Amino acid sequence: MMGGFIDLYTEADTFLHRMDPRVKIVAVLFLSLLAFILTNLTLLLALLVLIFVLLFLARATITRTVFALKFVLRFMVLIVVLWPIFDPTGTPVLASLGPLKITEPAIWRGVTSAVRVGCLATVWYILMFTTSQRDLVRALVKIGVRFDFGLTLAISLRFLPTFGALIDSIKDAQRARGLELSKGGLLKRSRNYVAVLVPTIVSALRTADTLSLALQSRAYGARADRTYLRDLNMRSSDYATLAVLVALLVLPILAKFVMNVAI
Amino acid sequence: MIPSAHGIPQEEKIISTRNLKFTYEGGVQALHGLNLDIRHGDYVAIVGGNGSGKTTLAKTLNGLLKPTSGTVVVNGRPTSEQKVAALAKVVGYAFQNPDHQLFCSSVEDEVRFGPQNLGYSEQEVRQKVERAIEAMNLDKLRSVAPLSLRLGERRRVSIASVIAMDPQVLILDEPTTGLDSGESLELMDRLKRLNGEGKTIILITHDMKVVAEHARRVIVMANGRMILDSDCRGVFSDLAILGESSLEPPPVTKLAHRLAKHGISPDVVSAEELVVQLMKSGGGG
Repeated sequence: MMGGFIDLYTEADTFLHRMDPRVKIVAVLFLSLLAFILTNLTLLLALLVLIFVLLFLARATITRTVFALKFVLRFMVLIVVLWPIFDPTGTPVLASLGPLKITEPAIWRGVTSAVRVGCLATVWYILMFTTSQRDLVRALVKIGVRFDFGLTLAISLRFLPTFGALIDSIKDAQRARGLELSKGGLLKRSRNYVAVLVPTIVSALRTADTLSLALQSRAYGARADRTYLRDLNMRSSDYATLAVLVALLVLPILAKFVMNVAI
Repeated sequence: MIPSAHGIPQEEKIISTRNLKFTYEGGVQALHGLNLDIRHGDYVAIVGGNGSGKTTLAKTLNGLLKPTSGTVVVNGRPTSEQKVAALAKVVGYAFQNPDHQLFCSSVEDEVRFGPQNLGYSEQEVRQKVERAIEAMNLDKLRSVAPLSLRLGERRRVSIASVIAMDPQVLILDEPTTGLDSGESLELMDRLKRLNGEGKTIILITHDMKVVAEHARRVIVMANGRMILDSDCRGVFSDLAILGESSLEPPPVTKLAHRLAKHGISPDVVSAEELVVQLMKSGGGG
């Protein structure tokens, strides 16, 4: 189960899949910035809708979108619930209990922040659903990230499902020795996990050791100027997207900070 | 000499599966309706190519995997009604990679972990640990950190940590992989002794030499099915079956097959037997 979901990329042929990954990274960064700049709930909701339209256009299946939302939704609910409790400013006061004051503007601020967090969390799925790990790393290196760092990232992503399987196997091995992971109180349960954690770390270190030897034996780092099998090329549609994105970010910035329009 | 599986009286069986099917979450069906009985004191080898379903079968026998359909009955009760921790008292499972089990700072602590989980009293734990340490010849290593040991020793520690729970059945997944011949011989010798003391042993392996020298019963798996359940001789003389499951008979059996036209019986499974055969045919002509 873990293996299937850690690599979020799904193969398809949509305009988002074809887009240069560098442009997608910029797009995601810009949309995130936009979520920070906007304070108007309607505009933030519009941004959230835009993100889901893009996810839909990326052919993200319902299960994947639900999966993407599941984690975020919990946070959003938590924010909506907790915000008014810790923010007693503004009027009208809707309810009060001792020092606790629930005000209407605080509720709206809570909802706005929740939607903002929703935008920030889901916008990354546009990139992750449509970009293979290889392209992602390639894009980062092309932007200027050192190749070693790119490779490290690629290897980490590549090994996530492997470690998922490893942890499953170690859990099984310890259950076969009578370990009941979910038994006991919080302290006992966290102690139970030592039996899983130690073999996992040891195996991970052993794997890392072997891997570094394997890389070296394939002449990793022999030349500073390495060549690449697959190169990235910006197409005219990528430049057009970039232009739209810049406009999308610059206009609200102008409106907010130069023209002092509340957005 | 092994009676057919279904002829075994109920009380002699420790494990029995009926129409056991197992399908992984992703939809891969790994077991296609297995009927298998294992008796107290058996020494069974489960052999087959990679992906034939050996390990999946073994994991259903101690409840780590519950059947998708059909039943696995251990000691008279279906595994679907028993917790893995409870089944661990009856069916011990030593994983292929010992490093998946080892985490304590001394061999002795490692061996203690299982019986302590099962809630034995301190005195019982001590007894069981001593027996397990003795059985796997770990006395000199008892205060050493398991992870600093050689693979052969780590494997013995992981097996000892399972034996310490005193299970009636011991499942070993590829116990000789990665061991040199000396380590392998010693380990197999120790398992033989445990079997002599009444432990039921189930060996999952590729090593046909080990199978030929130790197992009394061999189950050949291919594509999630049992294609043969017989004694060693039966398995190794059936080259067609072996080919189907991408297995090779041990070298001595292969040699006997090639010498068949010189009057050597092809069902030889050990060097000693071949010597006897050669003496006979040499003496005769």
